[in-house]
Amino acid sequence: MNAIPIPAFLVVAAILFGIGAVGFLVRRNVLVALMSIELMLNAVNVTFVAFNRLHADAHVGQLFAFFNIAVAAAEAAVGLAIVLSFFRLRRTVRSDAGDLLKN
Amino acid sequence: MEHHLLFQPDDWTPLAWILGAPLFGAFFNGVFGKRLGKNAVRTMAVAVMAVSFAAALYTFLQLHEFRHGLEAAMGAAASHGGVKEGAELTEPTRFTWLAWKWLSMPSADGGGRLGIDAKFMVDELSGVMMLVVTGVGFLIHVYSTSYMAKDPSYHRFFAYLNLFIFAMLVLILGANMPLLFVGWEGVGLCSYLLIGFWFDKEANAAAGRKAFIANRIGDVGMLGGMFLLAYYAGALDWTGITHGSQGLLQPITLYQAADPAKSITVSAATLTGLALLLGCTGKSAQIPLYVWLPDAMAGPTPVSALIHAATMVTSGLYLIARLNVVFTFSPFAMAVVASVGAATALFAATIGLVQNDIKKVLAYSTVSQLGYMFLGVGTGAFAMGFFHVFTHAFFKAALFLGSGSVIHAMHARIHDDVKSQDMRLMGGLKKYMPWTYFSMGAATLAIAGMPLFSGFFSKDGILFHAYANRVVHPFKHTAEHIVELCKTNPKMPACGAAEQQLAAYWEAPRWLGPTLFTVGVIAAALTAFYMFRLMFMTFWGEFKGWKVDSAAPLALDPFANEEPLVDEPEAHEAHAHGEQAHDEEHGHEEHGHHHEDLATPAAPPAEAPWTMALPVAILAVFAVFAGFLYAEPLRIEPLGHWLDPVFHHVNMVSVHLKEGAEQLEKPLMVPGVLAFLIGSGIAYLWYVKGEGKTPAELAAAWPRLHRAALNKWYVDELYDATIIEGTDALADGAALMDTWVVDGILAKLTSAIASGLGAVLRAFQNGVVHVYAAGIAIGALGLFVFFGRPHADVATTKAGEQFTIEATPGLGYEYKWDLGDGKADQQYTTGEAALKRSITVKQDETKKVKLTVKNAFGREVVREVQIRNPKPAPTSSALGLPGAPGGQ
Repeated sequence: MNAIPIPAFLVVAAILFGIGAVGFLVRRNVLVALMSIELMLNAVNVTFVAFNRLHADAHVGQLFAFFNIAVAAAEAAVGLAIVLSFFRLRRTVRSDAGDLLKN
Repeated sequence: MEHHLLFQPDDWTPLAWILGAPLFGAFFNGVFGKRLGKNAVRTMAVAVMAVSFAAALYTFLQLHEFRHGLEAAMGAAASHGGVKEGAELTEPTRFTWLAWKWLSMPSADGGGRLGIDAKFMVDELSGVMMLVVTGVGFLIHVYSTSYMAKDPSYHRFFAYLNLFIFAMLVLILGANMPLLFVGWEGVGLCSYLLIGFWFDKEANAAAGRKAFIANRIGDVGMLGGMFLLAYYAGALDWTGITHGSQGLLQPITLYQAADPAKSITVSAATLTGLALLLGCTGKSAQIPLYVWLPDAMAGPTPVSALIHAATMVTSGLYLIARLNVVFTFSPFAMAVVASVGAATALFAATIGLVQNDIKKVLAYSTVSQLGYMFLGVGTGAFAMGFFHVFTHAFFKAALFLGSGSVIHAMHARIHDDVKSQDMRLMGGLKKYMPWTYFSMGAATLAIAGMPLFSGFFSKDGILFHAYANRVVHPFKHTAEHIVELCKTNPKMPACGAAEQQLAAYWEAPRWLGPTLFTVGVIAAALTAFYMFRLMFMTFWGEFKGWKVDSAAPLALDPFANEEPLVDEPEAHEAHAHGEQAHDEEHGHEEHGHHHEDLATPAAPPAEAPWTMALPVAILAVFAVFAGFLYAEPLRIEPLGHWLDPVFHHVNMVSVHLKEGAEQLEKPLMVPGVLAFLIGSGIAYLWYVKGEGKTPAELAAAWPRLHRAALNKWYVDELYDATIIEGTDALADGAALMDTWVVDGILAKLTSAIASGLGAVLRAFQNGVVHVYAAGIAIGALGLFVFFGRPHADVATTKAGEQFTIEATPGLGYEYKWDLGDGKADQQYTTGEAALKRSITVKQDETKKVKLTVKNAFGREVVREVQIRNPKPAPTSSALGLPGAPGGQ
């Protein structure tokens, strides 16, 4: 069986991370920003799983990926809660409206 | 010789009682007085004074007994040795008490330590002073219990008064200069607080500030004098100063600030004496700093009697008498002291001639009498000058307290602070206030110099010594002696030096003594005049206070005199019963209740209650008879004998009677007695016989002169125009500096930079998450770029000729070394061993090391290092440079 080489995974992960990072930087919608963060986290997960192949016995990379998914879920829960209260406060989910600390 | 003393002379704990009782009273009255009420305050204040006075009396008697024992022992030793005379003490007898060790510092010569202890000492001089302060203080406390009875701030008054007594006792009993200074400032503070006791009136508060500031100016001199003493005498305690006083004969060269080439050389004693004199002129109200004392009469009258007549103002005298050795080392400083005193005595007396406020007359009289005291000590008559302090304490306290009773009685009729002190509204009071009249009359005779009264002996003693004394440099006699010897034996060494020195010793010119005497006699005549004027205007003639309108403004301008101070009866409908002026003697609660019709004769002015009349009477008795403690013409001199050990050294060395002056003692009394007769006689003629017409005519004849004297010769205005204006100008300049340089350039520029930087940085802190995220992203990118390149950093350590080169480690780095020895690495290596290489470099040799580092991305970087082993540099000690630690 011809395994897909590790660099291919890494390239995919890099592309995913790049999309996430750019998306986070350029989009003003908080929900989209959250989704971008999820993308970046998943890019990291892909990297972990890919590298796991180098140390297949230990499964460290896969374990880390699971932890990451759990953290991402918690982060999404907290993030959405923040988005909800932010929306209640400003009647919008645009992140540039969140400048209450200014002045 | 056995002395059965209860306490040891070097641990005389009763001093703690003398000092502690008033301090406790001040604390008690200040903290609890308001809650406990007037009875408790009165009891406590008088009780602590009684304790203090009793302890002082006990101490004094024990000191007397102890000294008597010493004299007896000396007399026994002298007669044993076959010498009849010589039972004379040369050192003061001292009781001391060390409260605690205060501080200690290196002395000026660097050798020893200059210790300053909270140590108290009573000797002959401070013993007498202590008795006066506690005794007169006790009487004035008793007087005040009635005088201040209706004041709402009763507790505050007695707290201040007790605190004053404590501070005054610290001043007197302190065994060193700094402790005296503590008391000096303490009495200044209490004086300030009590002058401004009714501080809700702006004038009173201003008078308090004036006193405080004038004294601060004097304190500059005090501090300077203290520094000089510490430096040149090497000590600050009294005995130490006396022993180290030879150091004060050193010359000091003073350079002109404008032209450093010009200089004068004075002795340290002159400079010290003049500096201390400045301090004394502040505290003792002499020219040029006397201006605060007349204004200080804004305080309650008992305060005027205690602080501003009997005790505090004499502390300058006490200091000069205490440091008599220092002052007599400089005949020039002594001459200045005497001249200042004489000038003040005359100047203040001329102002006192025309004042109409009874307390103002007494205030200028005090300034004038203090001038006499300065004249006395300045001419070397320390004991006599101090005796005048003593007698003045009695007669001036009696006069002030008596005037307080008069004001008290007047106030009950007039209800106006200013008018109840105006002598033009008094008159005929002897009928209503006989006790006060006789007491004040006795005190007046004493101050005016009626023969056999106390003031006669002290004042005429001062005048005689002003004429007859001569103060010489302590080495003058030695130098004269050497010069005499040189006449017979010209080959003696040091002849030329002695002659030179003899010429350099300054001595007061011959005319100075007679001049001071004349000025003093004129001032004595003026004193007799203004004191009898006060008595006649107040107690003789008709009472003019029946019909006084307290609402009408009081004309202090003599040219408004035509407008009658005594109103026509019909004008009394306008009498302002709602007079809101602060009621001096009665406090606030009595305001607005007085509705008696002043057009009809009301209750006459009444004698003061016994608590007020009795202290005045006691003081008057002392004023009459205290003179016999030091009646020099009658050779009854217990006080002079008592004080002699304190001034023994000075009397032996520096102060001498002029030749043939002994015969002048009786003749020189004649001008003094004449001055008394002329002054009092003119006052009688003008104010009793002439009913005040002649003075009015004189005032009309020389209006400018009269107005100038009434306005205190415009000295306050002069000070306003020069010193105060100058200070204001300086302050204005400083304010400009502050506005433009400090605020303008320093503050505004700094803040502009900070706010500009903030404006730039604020743009990044805009609260938009994306901007922060972009920051993170840019930062991450930067890190990536930095760590994407390999870094070949090396550190070299040397051990003899062996050099070790160590590369910094990095993740995924591989190293290739070329030590220049032809055995360069062909392959990259990793691990610990790859990081370090050693190389031997001989002296004066240079080697090149090349290191190539490759990182995980395959990028390479090359680093070349030159390793040099130079010759050892010459050490600093080899160059002969000083300062190598441990070199010597």
